[in-house]
Amino acid sequence: MSTLWIILTGALVASTCGIVGCFLVLRRMAMIGDAISHSVLPGIVIAFLISGSRDSLFMLLGAAVLGLVTVFLIQLFHQSGVQSDASIGVVFTALFAVGVVLVSMYTKHIDLDLDCVLYGEIAYVPWNTIQLAGIDIGPKAVWGVGLALLLTILLISVFYKQFKLCSFDPALAAAVGIPVALFHYLLMGLVSVSTVASFESVGAILVVGMLVVPPAAAYLLTERLSRMIVYSVVIGCFSSVLGYYAAHLLDASIAGCMISVAGVIFLLALLFSPGHGIVFRKWNRRQQLSS
Amino acid sequence: MEFPANARSGRRLRRLFALICLGCLSIVTACGNTGAQEDGHAVKVTATIGMIADVVRQIGGEHVEVTGLMKAGVDPHLYKASQGDIRKLDKADIIFYNGLHLEGKMVEIFEKMAKEKTTVAVSDNIDRAALRTGAENGMANTEYDPHIWFNVQHWMTAAESIRDTLVGHDPEHAADYRRNAEAYLEQLQQLHDDVTKRLNALPEESRILVTAHDAFGYFGDAYRLQVKALQGMSTASEAGTKDVTDLRDYLVDNKIKAVFIESSVPRKAIDAVIQGAKQKGHDVVIGGQLFSDAMGEEGTPEGTYIGMVRHNVDTIAAALK
Repeated sequence: MSTLWIILTGALVASTCGIVGCFLVLRRMAMIGDAISHSVLPGIVIAFLISGSRDSLFMLLGAAVLGLVTVFLIQLFHQSGVQSDASIGVVFTALFAVGVVLVSMYTKHIDLDLDCVLYGEIAYVPWNTIQLAGIDIGPKAVWGVGLALLLTILLISVFYKQFKLCSFDPALAAAVGIPVALFHYLLMGLVSVSTVASFESVGAILVVGMLVVPPAAAYLLTERLSRMIVYSVVIGCFSSVLGYYAAHLLDASIAGCMISVAGVIFLLALLFSPGHGIVFRKWNRRQQLSS
Repeated sequence: MEFPANARSGRRLRRLFALICLGCLSIVTACGNTGAQEDGHAVKVTATIGMIADVVRQIGGEHVEVTGLMKAGVDPHLYKASQGDIRKLDKADIIFYNGLHLEGKMVEIFEKMAKEKTTVAVSDNIDRAALRTGAENGMANTEYDPHIWFNVQHWMTAAESIRDTLVGHDPEHAADYRRNAEAYLEQLQQLHDDVTKRLNALPEESRILVTAHDAFGYFGDAYRLQVKALQGMSTASEAGTKDVTDLRDYLVDNKIKAVFIESSVPRKAIDAVIQGAKQKGHDVVIGGQLFSDAMGEEGTPEGTYIGMVRHNVDTIAAALK
C-alpha cells in the first residue's frame, strides 16, 4: 500500500509541476522553484518568532506568505526591466540572506533549518494520513498536492488561451486587450502555492526538478504547447514510477531517483528527439548529403 | 524526396522511444518485489539514532532485533531517508526515537504512526523542568535542546522508558528485560559517577569546553563545565564572522588550552578560530574529536553509548588537564 501512495504522490507532484513548469520554461523562469525553495527561509523564521513553535502549520503559513512575496517581487522586477534570470537571482538570494541573518540573530539555539522544519520527505508520505470524522482518508500529501493539481488544471484550462498568448507574445496579448500583468501574477501565484504545498509534502529537490526537467524534455519533443504539457506530465509521471523502483533496487533516496530518471529521459530526448535530437539531425544531414 | 523520409523515420524513432521506455518499465517492475521472510520470535525494533539502538540492544538482548535508521557518523540534522527505510519502519513492531525535534519533521510522522504501532520518544519521561530551552533574547518557547544523551542521568531515564515499553509489548520476556535493564542501569550509574569524578578532578579555571556546534549543553550542566560553541544548534547554519572573532577573543582572554572538533561536523570553522588565536599570540590545540550527534563505527568501543561517553570524557580530561 505504501508503494502505491508514494508513486501516486510522486505522479501528482509531477503533474502539477509539469503543467506550470511548461509556462515557466517558455517564460525563461524555470529556476523559480529553486528560488522559492530558498526564499521561504525568512518566512519560517518569522513564523517561529511569532508562534514560538516549530509546528508544521505555522511553518507552512510563513512559507506560503514568503512564497507569494517572492514571486510578486520577481514579477515586479521583471516588469520594471530587470532580466528574468537576474530578477529571480536577486530576489531569492536577498530573501534567503535575510533569513540567514534572522536565524543568526534570534534563533541560534534552535534548529531551524528548512530541511528539518519545512521540507517533507516522500518516503514518509504513507504514514502522514489525515482523518475525517474518525475515518482514515489517506495521506495528507495526496490531498494537499491533489488540491494544488486540481486548482492548476482548473485555472489553466479556463484561461488557457490567455496564458498561452501571454507566454509566447506578451505584446500581442496586450494589443488584443488581455490584462497581461494580471495573468503573469496569476501564473506566478499558482506556481508559488503549488510549490510550497509540495515542499511541505515531498521536499525541495522533487519539486524543483519536476518543474524544470520534464517540461524541458517535452519542449524538445514538440512544437505545440498543448502537446508539450501532455508530454511533460507523462514524462514526469513515468519518472516517478521508474524512479521509485530504481530507489527500491538501489536502496536510495526516492525523490533523488525520480529526478535522476527524469534527467535520463531528458538526455534521451536531447539525443533522439525527432525534431531537435542530435542523433536525428546528424542522420538527416547525412541523408541529405547522399541524395 | 527528403520530406516523407523525414516524417516516416520521425515516427519510427518515436515508436522506438516508446518501446524502450516500456521495456525499461517492465524489467524494473518485474524485479521489484523481493519476498520478506517472517521471523515470529524476536520483537522487531527500529531506532532512529545509534545511541538509542545501542540501549535497546543492551536491554532487549536476544529477544529483540534492532535496526538503526541513521548510520554511524551521520548528522541527524542532515539525514536523508532512503527507500529501504520505509521497510524498516513498516516492519518494526516498536519504533524508538529521541524526540524534542531532533529528528525534525519525522517526529510528526512517528506521532501519527502511534495509532498503528508502538512509537516511543525516549525523551518523553524526562522532567521538562530539567531540560534546556531555546529561550534566549527574552523568547518564551517550548522548544527544548534535544541532545539529552550527554547527561548520563537523562539517558538512564530514557533507558527506563525503553525497558517499560519492551516489558509492555512482550510480557513473556519481562523478567529478562528487567534483569538486563537493571544491569545496564547500574553500568550507566557507574559511568555517571566516573564522569563526575574525572571531570571534577580538573582544575577549576580550565573547566571550559569549547566545541564546534552547540550540542554539549546538558554535558556542561551535569558535570559542571562551562560550554562555549562556535556554531548554533543547527549544524546547517554557518558560523558568522562575529562568532569566530568572539570565540577567538574568548579563547585568548581565558587562556584556553584546547578546543574540540566533532565527528559529524566539519572542522573548517574551528580551524579559523585557532588560526585567529595564534595571530593574537595564543596557542590553542585541537584537544581531539568528540562524538556529539552520532556514535563511532559499529564494532569499535566508540560504537556503543558507554564507549562514546568514555571516549569523550577521556579526550576532554586529557586535553584540559
